[in-house]
Amino acid sequence: MSRRPKRLRAEHRGLVLGSLLLVALFTAASILVEGFASANNIRSILLLAAFLGLAALGQTMVATVGGLDLSIPFVIGASNILLAYLFGTSLPAPLAILCILAMGALIGVLNGVMSYRIQGQALILTLGVGFAVVGGAQIFTSLGSQFSGTVFSQVPGWFSNIASISGTTFGLKLPPVILIWAAIAASLIFWINRTRAGRAIYAIGGNRTAAARLRISEFRVWVSTYTISGLTAAATGCLLLGFSGGGFVGVGDPYLFTTVAAVVVGGTSLLGGTGGYGATVIGVLVLQVLTSFLVGMGLDYAAQQTVFGLLILPMVALYARAPHIRYQI
Amino acid sequence: MEGLVSRNRHLLVPFGLVLVLGVIAAVRAPQTFTYVGLAGALLVAAPLILAAIAITPIAIAGRGGVDLSIGPLIGFVNVTIVVWLTGNGITHPVLVFAYAILAACAWQALLAALIIHVRISPIIASLAGFMILSGVNLVILSRPGGFAPEWLGNWGWGTELLSPVLYILVAACVIWALFSRTPLFQHIRLMGADERTAYTSGVDIVKARYAAHLLAGVFAGLAALCLTGLIGSGDPTQGNTLTLQAITALVLGGTSLSGGKGGITGSILGALAMYLVFVVLSSFNFGAISGFMTQLFYGLMLVISLMLALVTSRRRVAAV
Repeated sequence: MSRRPKRLRAEHRGLVLGSLLLVALFTAASILVEGFASANNIRSILLLAAFLGLAALGQTMVATVGGLDLSIPFVIGASNILLAYLFGTSLPAPLAILCILAMGALIGVLNGVMSYRIQGQALILTLGVGFAVVGGAQIFTSLGSQFSGTVFSQVPGWFSNIASISGTTFGLKLPPVILIWAAIAASLIFWINRTRAGRAIYAIGGNRTAAARLRISEFRVWVSTYTISGLTAAATGCLLLGFSGGGFVGVGDPYLFTTVAAVVVGGTSLLGGTGGYGATVIGVLVLQVLTSFLVGMGLDYAAQQTVFGLLILPMVALYARAPHIRYQI
Repeated sequence: MEGLVSRNRHLLVPFGLVLVLGVIAAVRAPQTFTYVGLAGALLVAAPLILAAIAITPIAIAGRGGVDLSIGPLIGFVNVTIVVWLTGNGITHPVLVFAYAILAACAWQALLAALIIHVRISPIIASLAGFMILSGVNLVILSRPGGFAPEWLGNWGWGTELLSPVLYILVAACVIWALFSRTPLFQHIRLMGADERTAYTSGVDIVKARYAAHLLAGVFAGLAALCLTGLIGSGDPTQGNTLTLQAITALVLGGTSLSGGKGGITGSILGALAMYLVFVVLSSFNFGAISGFMTQLFYGLMLVISLMLALVTSRRRVAAV
């Protein structure tokens, strides 16, 4: 496969374009929408970005090796109601959260192991796993209860402080989840770029034969990325419970396509090997600033969806085009 | 006979699934297999069957091409028939049929153009399409309502087996049977199996990809007509759920998303299996959790059939 040198810089081109778009959107919104640049609005943008950012973290890892994980929204919904259910039992809260995180990681391992031999159909397999997980979780939580799909219980105060809009960090009016997201993002970007294990993900995504020659286990990398994805999806589901205060299984639904959109708008190619979490962070911020902007302009959810769709196309056309078939031979 | 079995090996799993579910349904819900029961079943299952047929040629055409936008597309044709055509007094069957098929084909041609000329990967193009159309549908019709043309709404009674819905399904099968015998279809399959080989062998891959999408457009238009007939009105969100269901049916039917193989027999069997699961589970009294049971079983069926397909295909490779 011949590769034009221009494509080597695609990663940086995505970052630059995304950042420019972010700045342009923010400036336009601040001028057009009154109160857009207020501390309150920025705080709420960052809070929602933290949830989407965590959910899209796993999607980025998986996309870097050329897969897709469509079980994310279902794992988010399932963790959300299961954690609410566990909070209603006598289990200590930290232990309950650990249980849910372990469950998410386990689902990720299952996804990875089962999709390894059918990588082209990974998105369907994860979709099936997602259906099964969310169905099972709902059956489990609604046995003996007449409220199907929603679970009521008392969320511990310290936990809702982490993720609610009124949360404070050491007296500072900033929900801790934003700082947690920033810390995770920074350490992940460092890990990916500076460690052998992190580079292995790009090696597999870029060229599997070459990676095998370097004695990188494709199976291990593939399963690890899906495990990370399951883990971060479960974490997002838990945090969303802290945000809303009540378990609701549909809480993950918007994340079905927005995680993919954030990855794509950021500049990670779904073909694998390029992009990274830094790009996704910008993609997430672009989507959240745009959402807030559109809401400020009085557009409803339907119109937002259309704008998101219309945004993806030019962004992808700018930096994630496949080479012409002549250059692929 | 030997050749027939080995050639249709990928249909073994979906066929067995439909058979087992059919037997369970016959025991648990015998009313399904009466004249009226079958007529109703046909009516309810038709949009899903046609949607699953529609995404088949795109999946065969390769590049991981799974059309996520199929559900909102069917929804788009549904709401525009109700708002733009019936709303302006255009109800003649010929015009409505022509509109439905042309509108769906135009959308598919647009997607194909994005994939071929802008060179965006099919999954992203159709993902963007899903978002755009599901938004546009809600703008055209913000909540379920309106009326289908009277002749189309009458399909929704579902008391006659020999109904227009049956004729549409038969017509879809005939169109497929004819098309799958053309060299163009062989080109689509070759392109799906290995696009570089197809290109270097002189296959016109641009024409082949357009053809796959236009064929999908025809079936999507027919699916939208059946959906409009079933609900007798416009519903901007009903179509969206069809995307995941149609993909599930496609995969249950043994069509591989890696391209190059598969056919509508599998997709039809897959859609039937999904309908039968729904019938069987409804026959048990699960009360409030019946919807969750259906979801759980759809998921398990998908995973198990993918794993089974993996096992059967590996055995065949080992035998060669």
